[in-house]
Amino acid sequence: MHSLIQLSIVVLLLPLLSFVILIFFNRRLPRRGDFIGVGILGTAFGISAYIFWSVIVQTYDPAFRIAWDFTWIDLGNVPGVGPLQIKMGIVIDNLTAIMLAMVTLISLLVHLYSTGYMAGDKNYGRYFAFLGIFTFSMLGIVLSDNLFAIYIFWELVGLSSYLLIGFFFEKDSAADAQKKAFLANRVGDIGMWLGILILYSQFHTFSFEQIYANLAAGKFALSNAWLTAAGILLFMGCVGKSAQFPLHIWLPDAMEGPTPVSALIHAATMVAAGVYFVARIFVMLTPDALHVIAFIGACTAFMAATIAITQNDIKRVLAYSTVSQLGYMVLGLGVGAYSASLFHLVTHAFFKACLFLGSGAIIHAMHHEQDMRWMGGLRKHMPWTFATFTLATLALAGLPLTSGFLSKDAILAGAIGFAKVEGGGIFYLIPVLGFFSAMLTAFYMGRQIWLVFFGESRTHLKPADNHHADHHAHDNHAVHGDDHHADHGVHEVSWNMRAPLVILAALSVFAVYSPDPLDGAKGWFMKMIPTPATVVGEANPQKGALLAATPAPHLAGIVSPSEVVASHPAAEPVAEEHGVASAAAGHGEEKGGHVYSDPRQAEIVHAGHAAHYTAIYISSIMVVLGIGMAFVVYVFRIIDPEKTAQAIRPLYLFSLNKWYWDEIYEATFIKGSIVLSKILSWFDTNVVDGIVNGVALLVRKFAFANNSFDKYVVDGMVNFTAFTVNTTGAVLRKLQTGKVQTYVAMLILAIFGYFVFYFTRLIY
Amino acid sequence: MLSLIVFLPIIAGLVILAVPSSQKQIIRIVSLLAALAQGVLAVLIWRGYDPALPGITAGPGGSPLGSFQFVEKVPWISLNLGGFGSLNIEYFLGVDGISITMVILTALVSAIGVLSSWTIQKQVKGYFILYNLLASAMMGCFVALDFFLFYVFWEVMLLPMYFLIGIWGGPNREYAAIKFFLYTLFGSVFMLLVMIGLYFSVIDPVTGNHTFSLVAMASQENYIKDAILGPDNVMWRYIAFIVLFIGFAIKVPMFPFHTWLPDAHVEAPTPISVILAGVLLKLGTYGMIRINFPLFPEVFHASMYVIGIFGAINIIYGAFCALAQQDLKKMVAYSSISHMGYVLLGLAAGNSEGMVGALYQMFNHGTITAMLFLLVGVIYDRAHTRQIDKFGGLASYMPVYAALVTVAWFASLGLPGLSGFISEALVFVGAFSSETTRPIAIVSVLGIVFGAAYLLWSLQRMFLGKRKADAAYDLEIGADGHEHIHFHDWKGKLDLDGRELAMLVPLVLITIFLGIYPMPVLGMLTSSINKLVQVLSPVVMSQM
Repeated sequence: MHSLIQLSIVVLLLPLLSFVILIFFNRRLPRRGDFIGVGILGTAFGISAYIFWSVIVQTYDPAFRIAWDFTWIDLGNVPGVGPLQIKMGIVIDNLTAIMLAMVTLISLLVHLYSTGYMAGDKNYGRYFAFLGIFTFSMLGIVLSDNLFAIYIFWELVGLSSYLLIGFFFEKDSAADAQKKAFLANRVGDIGMWLGILILYSQFHTFSFEQIYANLAAGKFALSNAWLTAAGILLFMGCVGKSAQFPLHIWLPDAMEGPTPVSALIHAATMVAAGVYFVARIFVMLTPDALHVIAFIGACTAFMAATIAITQNDIKRVLAYSTVSQLGYMVLGLGVGAYSASLFHLVTHAFFKACLFLGSGAIIHAMHHEQDMRWMGGLRKHMPWTFATFTLATLALAGLPLTSGFLSKDAILAGAIGFAKVEGGGIFYLIPVLGFFSAMLTAFYMGRQIWLVFFGESRTHLKPADNHHADHHAHDNHAVHGDDHHADHGVHEVSWNMRAPLVILAALSVFAVYSPDPLDGAKGWFMKMIPTPATVVGEANPQKGALLAATPAPHLAGIVSPSEVVASHPAAEPVAEEHGVASAAAGHGEEKGGHVYSDPRQAEIVHAGHAAHYTAIYISSIMVVLGIGMAFVVYVFRIIDPEKTAQAIRPLYLFSLNKWYWDEIYEATFIKGSIVLSKILSWFDTNVVDGIVNGVALLVRKFAFANNSFDKYVVDGMVNFTAFTVNTTGAVLRKLQTGKVQTYVAMLILAIFGYFVFYFTRLIY
Repeated sequence: MLSLIVFLPIIAGLVILAVPSSQKQIIRIVSLLAALAQGVLAVLIWRGYDPALPGITAGPGGSPLGSFQFVEKVPWISLNLGGFGSLNIEYFLGVDGISITMVILTALVSAIGVLSSWTIQKQVKGYFILYNLLASAMMGCFVALDFFLFYVFWEVMLLPMYFLIGIWGGPNREYAAIKFFLYTLFGSVFMLLVMIGLYFSVIDPVTGNHTFSLVAMASQENYIKDAILGPDNVMWRYIAFIVLFIGFAIKVPMFPFHTWLPDAHVEAPTPISVILAGVLLKLGTYGMIRINFPLFPEVFHASMYVIGIFGAINIIYGAFCALAQQDLKKMVAYSSISHMGYVLLGLAAGNSEGMVGALYQMFNHGTITAMLFLLVGVIYDRAHTRQIDKFGGLASYMPVYAALVTVAWFASLGLPGLSGFISEALVFVGAFSSETTRPIAIVSVLGIVFGAAYLLWSLQRMFLGKRKADAAYDLEIGADGHEHIHFHDWKGKLDLDGRELAMLVPLVLITIFLGIYPMPVLGMLTSSINKLVQVLSPVVMSQM
């Protein structure tokens, strides 16, 4: 076993250890054992950092990959298949190394931050235990080398989110939210499960490597529609976990969890899992499946952005911005901007964690006020929070010099390239929605910054009764029973909450990822995460024909098992310029010195690169427009937001009520299920059981009838026979008198009778 | 060995017969000791079992014992019937991969049932005598390899169950008991007819006589060609398969023969519910695997699709009915119907993955549902009600109970890391891989969502949020300023006491262990299942 594999197992199991220790012993430990959680995560991060260093910094090979597996379930010599084993295993490549470091770092920071934020909660120890199992589940997804293992940890992430979203379970809203999150995720999961089953039924394996090798070898016996279906179904898992339309509804409600948990869910774990998973299955997605993914992503990005602009709860704005940004990532994968999308996953994780933890600091300082309408002027009281929050906001809005600019721009450039290659038309909707969402993002983040940090405090404007209700509706942890009024008592948070903010803000600067503030492709990240070659390249023959000029055997690009077993000692001298590489370099030389095997992918990446500056110009204009509008509305007050809202009231309400998705689902699926369950239950009691009881009744009636028959007919016949015999006997007895004369007379009568009988026979 | 494990409880019952009925504690301890001894024997059998030997049918070279293990075979009843030949019934016990897991499950659930019976106060002596009789009969069913012997155990099982529900049950107990009794009897009458038909159709290759041996019956070459159930008599074989199947389906219980189950569960005392759900239901599917399918493989092959559809109906219909229930125990009863649907679906797949999944699901459903019913019993003991809406916020006041309920509920909804997940996953893998059942598998995955829905909803209504206004308990502020709750006339510990933990913790540990590392159970199954799949496959049949 490779030493990095051993270390990664340690990293995986450490948070589980934290969970086990804390769930059983937290009440017996000093400080409820929070130091154990922080310490264990610190160790896990330390090891992950070492793995990152040795994989990314030292090896610096785009094709790096090591794997290890063991037999988990042995089904023996199965008839028709042969020896069949279900294996579990770990794979470490560049993506894994980056994700490991990111997940453990954010989890560590959230742990540290929580020691301040959650202090005094009555279930403080249990909280850290749940953080542990959440981190464990996410690390499991990151490390798994097969679909079955991913599905297992996928569900465990669902459990962990259930436990953490409902941490304040005494509140009905929290209990509702946790159930909603779990069920919405399960809907996605059944799709994912069916996708897994389609692949398993063909190849009798769950391993990515073997499935891809088989697909590349053309061993998929079903039609291409099944393959596309498999891709879309697997993607459904991502729709659930990464809160894509139409299963995004759970995520905003998940704000019921403690705020540091929101940071964990929305940045490093759970929502990232969906995008990560699509990246893992990227090579088997057919062009049709990718189109679906791209459109879903674009719709999600746009829809969530339109909702975010009207929300008043500081966390809900961030929640919808998360949904929107996840839409970007999914869009990016759909259009084939693989590296850019994963780049955005990582940059977003850091700045979004910073925003959530910052909002937590604000909420903490404001004594659990979450409504931005009653904030304002916090800049003076909370300078650290203000600075870090603003930097992260700039990254989210995608301003130059930030990490978010690099990654978002790369996705949008990819989207333009995609639309060009796919022949324009409807496909241009994807970049258009992307750019429009970028403008909305800049607008709502500008609005948030202004409402929270600038102007004067508006705490006193808050209606009193409303205040009370709101207070109960939000985090109700034990210590903050008293109603402080704003300014007195608003102060900067303590070091253990401030340090994570600073670290995360620092990671939102462009220099961490790329030397060029305008081009992410020049940075280490996009070089280390090249777009992998598809294994279903000719799934769409039309596209193949279109690009027939490119002499690219589609199978050349597959990552064959022999190549992936160990790390590539000698990275091929591939042209890294565009962040695109292939394990099978040398096949299919492209124009521009670009090494690529699949014509469609190559074309898209190429077009995306060409669109790089176009994307920069458009997105910069959009961001400036968005921020400008925020200034116009909230700073200069040229447009009154209240009046505008009144003027376009239906649109405003549409956005405020989140496009009414909750209401639609409530009225259809939820009501429908409950009504159906009542109908079936009624059917069960009255029809199915009714028939059973009816039959029983019939049998009983029959038994009664039988009884009567028995009593009157059968028994009657018996009695009748007895009666007849009796009567006959009585009659006959009279004949036996004992007198000879009577006997003689009877004899004569009999002889006479015989003669009469005999002669009548003769006559006739 | 097998005789001992079968008859130990009856011996304990005889001992109890000699104990005066006032000595309740002695009666309980005798039963517990018998159950524990049964458990020790089960472990010994498990340790001595060689998982490489498949069992199922006669071994290579037509050995009449097949590769069954721990075989005990002696002539039992030999009658000369004149013109009809002779009636040969054997006392024939043995285990293979299919039965050994059930033997272990039965021993485990019986022992936990005894612990759970500790609180029974009414006619303790009679109760435990019947309980032990039931335990023996169940065990006997799983190890009997002679159809007649199986039938005897099957019928013996009915009687104590009838009385245990009918005397120690809830308010509507007589209705439930008679319903259970008649339903099962209805099934077993047909079984009797098929059994006799089979007897006259099968020849023991060694003795040349007719035989009730299930091992001989499982080899198609032992059938007389033109006998009533011989290979030529296609129609009668179909009829025999169907009526036999209905007989077992009633026990499963399969829609539409399932309505006795919710009634029986609602009325039965907790330990009897545990036995009923934990072991008795498995006899239905065990009967299918042991008797129905291998004896009529070609009919099984023709009806895979139909069995799968019934499985899917069970899964989805059961889940929806569970969603509508107000009585917690009824909800769990319908969840049993739903989960037994996975077993049917896995069997219908007819491939190794599906069948291994089905058998593993039988084992896991046994442990998980036992847990569910025990947990329902815990709250019923305290509150004297099971109405879901009469609770709320219990997690704050009974944290240990809430934690175990959460584990059990999540085990039931198939959370990875807990045993139920692996069996359901294997069932789906199998059902989807078989082209016959693929569409059914696609529909059945809805069960995953609705299973989660009813379980999480009940969890929320009972344990989360705050106490409801009309809750079955009072809220009071203790001297320490904390809130406490109080159940009317409940003197015991509020949260779980030692005995309750002793019942539940082993089950929780087994569920977690087998969810992480399933091979201890799966390893015993695989060779038998692979053999069974071969026996059932159309390729083998065509060579017949």
